[in-house]
Amino acid sequence: MTDAEDDIHKNEDNKECSEAVNLYEIRKSKLMSWINKYMKIEMTDGRILIGTFVCTDKDANVILSSCSELFNTEKTGISEEPRLLGLVMIPGKHIVSVHLEQTCPVHETTTV
Amino acid sequence: MCELLHLNIKTVETVEASMFYENRKQSLKEEATTKECKSNSLLESISFNWMDITQDFFDAVSFLKLGELFHDELFGLFEAMSAIEMMDPKMDAGMLCNRGGKPTLNFEQALSVEGRVKLEGLSLKEQIIIVDRTLSCFVSWLEGHSLAQTIFTNLYMHKPYLIECRPLKTFSICMYKIIDIIRDFVSRGVVFEEEDFQLAMYGYRLNPDVTEQRTVGMLREVETELNEVIHSSSNANNSEVEWAIALNCRIRFVRLFYQLFVALKRDSIQAGSGIGECYNLLTTCIELTSSLLKTTYTAEVNPESEGWSHLGFDTMINQRLLPPTFPRYTKIKNNIDSFHYFESLLARLKQALKITTYSSFHEALHYFIELSRSNPCIISRSVMQILYMPENGKILGTANIIDVLRESARNFICPPVLSVRSLIINKDEAKENVEAFLSHCVRPFTLFIQLCGHNRARQRDKLSHLLEDYAALQDEAERVDVYLHNISVKMDPPRSHLACFGTWILYYILKIMIMYLLSGFELELYSFHEYTYIFWYLHEFLYGWLISALTRAENISLNQDFINENVKYRSGGNKRNKLKKKKSRSNSCEIVICQALQNMCGAYYKAMIGFQLEEKIRKPYYEFDNEKVRYEHRFSAFSVLMTPPIVQYSEFYEMTMRLKETGVDMLYFSASKLYHQARTVLESISTPDQEINTLLKVVKTNFIVLKVLASGHKRGREHSLDFDFSAHHHFPIFKLN
Repeated sequence: MTDAEDDIHKNEDNKECSEAVNLYEIRKSKLMSWINKYMKIEMTDGRILIGTFVCTDKDANVILSSCSELFNTEKTGISEEPRLLGLVMIPGKHIVSVHLEQTCPVHETTTV
Repeated sequence: MCELLHLNIKTVETVEASMFYENRKQSLKEEATTKECKSNSLLESISFNWMDITQDFFDAVSFLKLGELFHDELFGLFEAMSAIEMMDPKMDAGMLCNRGGKPTLNFEQALSVEGRVKLEGLSLKEQIIIVDRTLSCFVSWLEGHSLAQTIFTNLYMHKPYLIECRPLKTFSICMYKIIDIIRDFVSRGVVFEEEDFQLAMYGYRLNPDVTEQRTVGMLREVETELNEVIHSSSNANNSEVEWAIALNCRIRFVRLFYQLFVALKRDSIQAGSGIGECYNLLTTCIELTSSLLKTTYTAEVNPESEGWSHLGFDTMINQRLLPPTFPRYTKIKNNIDSFHYFESLLARLKQALKITTYSSFHEALHYFIELSRSNPCIISRSVMQILYMPENGKILGTANIIDVLRESARNFICPPVLSVRSLIINKDEAKENVEAFLSHCVRPFTLFIQLCGHNRARQRDKLSHLLEDYAALQDEAERVDVYLHNISVKMDPPRSHLACFGTWILYYILKIMIMYLLSGFELELYSFHEYTYIFWYLHEFLYGWLISALTRAENISLNQDFINENVKYRSGGNKRNKLKKKKSRSNSCEIVICQALQNMCGAYYKAMIGFQLEEKIRKPYYEFDNEKVRYEHRFSAFSVLMTPPIVQYSEFYEMTMRLKETGVDMLYFSASKLYHQARTVLESISTPDQEINTLLKVVKTNFIVLKVLASGHKRGREHSLDFDFSAHHHFPIFKLN
């Protein structure tokens, strides 16, 4: 992330058109860095989907692979075991929040 | 290589995911015990370190171009297509609208909830309702739904051994056994397709540790107990007695139904001894269904309300066992319908049992074809297959299939080599040739029998493949004929052996070709304007060839009889005379029916040209149409055959052009004449069966319609025309409007 921010600072002096191009490139590289990472997406009906981020488009439709479905018990009032759904497409309009898993799982960081 | 890599990644992903899944399971169990602990915090802390990127993400995504997919090189549009769409009510099983609001409880959980599942103290009425609902589920399973969505929506069926209530317990155990035995029949019958039947068990284990005798014994004990209730409390509570009788009736039905399948499965049945027992069981079962129908109480339960769940049914219980994209709901039949289904199933089984009385292959095949017309259920089809060919190479469990085929060829055409007093067969080489040929016949002929067990829609495809097998067989038949001919002309007296086995095989080929063409009507594959060449082909060629094949067979076997008799006359015996005559009669009867059908098809053909000339039926627009291409497509399956050769489109075109010139009046007139001829031929059959009577009905009605048309009424395009297939699957009745 910090690299990307650095880039933005560096490019501030450049011309506006090239800035736009660069901005585009930056976003792309940002997206690229998220690809094949674990993502947690909360949907409008309170369900939470966790899976590997593999694809997206302009409307923020997201495809997660090996996706599991969990329930946000507070919101839905359902407490059930998670289900494995496989490859799943979530329409952008139903996405409430997106979380990215940061590099290492907690059970490693907590031991540190 | 790329794909391999991708696969590897995928498997790694799934392994990771399943590990994660296990972790979650563990954690959720803990959660269940300590309810205060909120799952939200668990989600955050257990194995992931989440960072909110919502804003960043939407921001980044908005820079993508319209329609641009952002993905890495291993993931493409193709993969994207197979994703299930969340929040689409048809695909998303987890959606609130698809889960019915209530949490699903498994057996143990339901036990702990007051009034959900009771292990003991179920009233007789409750038991009856559970039994009836389970039987309805069972019927829905037989009709092709998954076990998970039918029978195993009954929580009692999950753990039958825990039930304390004896009737329900034994019933559940018996259902296990019935499911098991029916699965066995269907999987051994090998005539099922995914649309017919679901074999999947979804991890439920049907108990093999209870023997047949034990199951039946337990059921009998329950029956005695219920009988005691009926007799002891006769004065106390009338409705109680009524329920006891109804439950007793159900337990008895289930027991007999189970015993029936056990009897069908027994090896001894093929020897003939078990058939009587099966008939008895069937008859008693059928009698019981009527008393089942009289005692259904489920109308009193409203399935929309709490009704089912308090009796241990939960339609959602197995949702997690199903693949994510699976039909959400299975409509379970109501009790009345399912008891009627049992009734018809038993009647079909009775018909299927009859196959054991057909020892000749020819008759058995005809019976298979005849029964298949009514499109019977998968159970009766499988049972019939297993009864007829319980193991490879054995017909009805006893006769060697090669012997049966040899007998069939002998009855059909009586080839000199197979005749009783044949001298040719004494030559080793000739014998070897014939035996080799007959053993090559085994596969196509068993395939033909098997084909008749498949459902109607699948039969058509299989028929075209079967033609390939028979085409190869015919080559060999002709070769063997020529070989035997060379020997037999040198014998004393010299005999011709040409076209003997060839005709026998040709007969089956023509039958398959006709079945193939006719199935298109039944499956509604042809459009109206295509009927012309289909009927033309049937009329001009297939039925004509079939008649000539049958006549040739008749002549050759008569000739053979004559020679045999001469031999006998010389030797003084005259016993087998009558027997032979009876055999050849089946051929001549078939010739008569073929003649009628040939006339009928000719009438349809001519009438169709008339309708086209009058524009009573719509033709496709000129620029979208190429009749030749359609024609070739319709008959392309026949191109594998050498004899009979495929008839070219040009022939059809020329003949139809010539007929068109004769004018509409003439066409209608000659069509009505042909219908009349068909009628006369059909009426000449002394013992008409159901099929012939329906054909007569079709022929008579169409004759009148064409008579009306020929006399100039209802002409022109304003009087539109309909084809009514309700009387017969293949031959429509014309309906003028």
